[in-house]
Amino acid sequence: MAKITYIARDGETLVLDVERGSTVMRGAVDNALQGIIGDCGGACSCATCHVYVDPQWYDKVGEIGATEEILLEEVCDPQPNSRLGCQITITDDLDGLVVRLPEKQV
Amino acid sequence: MSTSAATGGDVVYWDPYRPDLGKDPYPTFKRLREEAPLYYNAEYDFYAVSRFADVEACLGNHETFISGRSDIMEFMREDMEVPKGMFIWEDPPEHTAYRAVVMRVFTPKRMNALEGMIRDYCVRCLDPIAGNDRIDFIADLGGQLPGGVIGMLLGIPDEDRDAVRDQVEASLRTEEGKPMELEQANLTGENYEEYIDWRMKTPSDDLMTELLNTEFKDATGTVRKLTKEEVLIFVMLLAGAGNETTSKLIGWMGKILGEHPDQRREIAADRSLVPAAIEEILRFEPPGPSVARYVAKDVEVLGQVVPAGSVMLNLIASANRDESRFTDPELFNIHRRDPPHMTFGRGIHSCLGMALARVEGRVVMEEILKRFPDWTVDTDNAQLSSSSSTRGWDTMPVFVG
Ligand code: HEM
Ligand code: FES
Repeated sequence: MAKITYIARDGETLVLDVERGSTVMRGAVDNALQGIIGDCGGACSCATCHVYVDPQWYDKVGEIGATEEILLEEVCDPQPNSRLGCQITITDDLDGLVVRLPEKQV
Repeated sequence: MSTSAATGGDVVYWDPYRPDLGKDPYPTFKRLREEAPLYYNAEYDFYAVSRFADVEACLGNHETFISGRSDIMEFMREDMEVPKGMFIWEDPPEHTAYRAVVMRVFTPKRMNALEGMIRDYCVRCLDPIAGNDRIDFIADLGGQLPGGVIGMLLGIPDEDRDAVRDQVEASLRTEEGKPMELEQANLTGENYEEYIDWRMKTPSDDLMTELLNTEFKDATGTVRKLTKEEVLIFVMLLAGAGNETTSKLIGWMGKILGEHPDQRREIAADRSLVPAAIEEILRFEPPGPSVARYVAKDVEVLGQVVPAGSVMLNLIASANRDESRFTDPELFNIHRRDPPHMTFGRGIHSCLGMALARVEGRVVMEEILKRFPDWTVDTDNAQLSSSSSTRGWDTMPVFVG
């Protein structure tokens, strides 16, 4: 388990216990967090699981894959710390991870 | 497990062809989820999963549940040869290579950028009927806008769009109570051939030109352009997949908001509710109620072996009403705070056009509510059509006011 903090645009903050091996996207969706959709279920196809990784954590969440890199240019309001939540797998090292949600996914 | 052997008793029975079941499939779906979450229909020889988690797992497992024999149950029976480039009916590595070509095109950012153009088109459909006391969500809008938008993207001239739509609709329609015939589906894309030839000579900034010129790495690892045949198939696929589904979304919008005046007025008064309302319409009545998969190897589902060679129907419309995921799923509620629906599928084949469909849905809802805040459905004259792959209204006439 890792504690993941999701901060919505309006500042509303939710701290969720997400299982190791799950993802930032799945943790959100399983807990009905509004603001992450994840239509493709983690197949790196839909780009509706966009999050901004807190800069302090950015280097710890793993590499960006080739497909993800392309989709990250195409999300709404991409930023240098943008990632697709389904491509961040939860490990013990990510306990305390903070992500912010974009204004909209689509 | 239930079979159709006991039709007379109270064993649950379902197939996608019976008009009486298609009219309101939800009570049957509820029974399937409860009594036969892995259902087998002996009459048509297919399996079906109906719970959210099971559908999600099946669509997520593209190695066992393959698309290479199409995603339409009727087509799987006949040894259909899927043309190269029809990636909705292909598996990795071909699917991956082809989808990568258009992956960038239909993304949220690019589709949002089209909003102005989509709105203009919508306004052009609606302004001529603004003062009418009767409108039809399909004839006046749903039958025009989605095809028009895809046509604009591709660069298909306006006057030919209707012919394209009619052909696609004819290829997907089933006669009441009958499975679809493969011969109906024209998979050659002949209708578009003229445009391709023309575009090859007169390039423009449309998608057709982009498809003709983009280099990609094909499934064998060769970097090349799409062949003319592949471009034809792509165009067919995009026009086919993006047209009727979105038209049906617009029809359901007319129907559902017509029947929920309180929520309709709420949205009209507060436009920020529009995106959530679109999601709830998509959940409540998915235009594509089920997708099929071919079972490539023996697999255990809910404790039972489903043998290789079987057809598995994924009941998306049932998953969207699974009470273990949605609170009061049979209620239409734009304020629900549940996890998302499954209307755009799941996994590697999940809908390429979802961002476009959502933008179109939003624009339509806004522009309709601006002009027609109140309406009642003309139930007697509204016509439903239902097949294994689409379900929605052919006409959705309403009384304004
Ligand atoms: C409300 C409207 C729409 C609905 C409900 C819908 C639904 C779906 C579903 C359920 C699938 C998955 C099929 C499967 O898994 O076998 C799919 C795939 C697809 N859709 Fe849509 N769709 C809609 C609009 C569009 C639009 C506007 C386009 C236009 C580009 C489009 C293009 C596609 C394509 C190309 C695929 C195949 C993706 C692949 O195999 O990788 N769809 N759609
Ligand atoms: S869930 Fe679809 S890309 Fe992340």
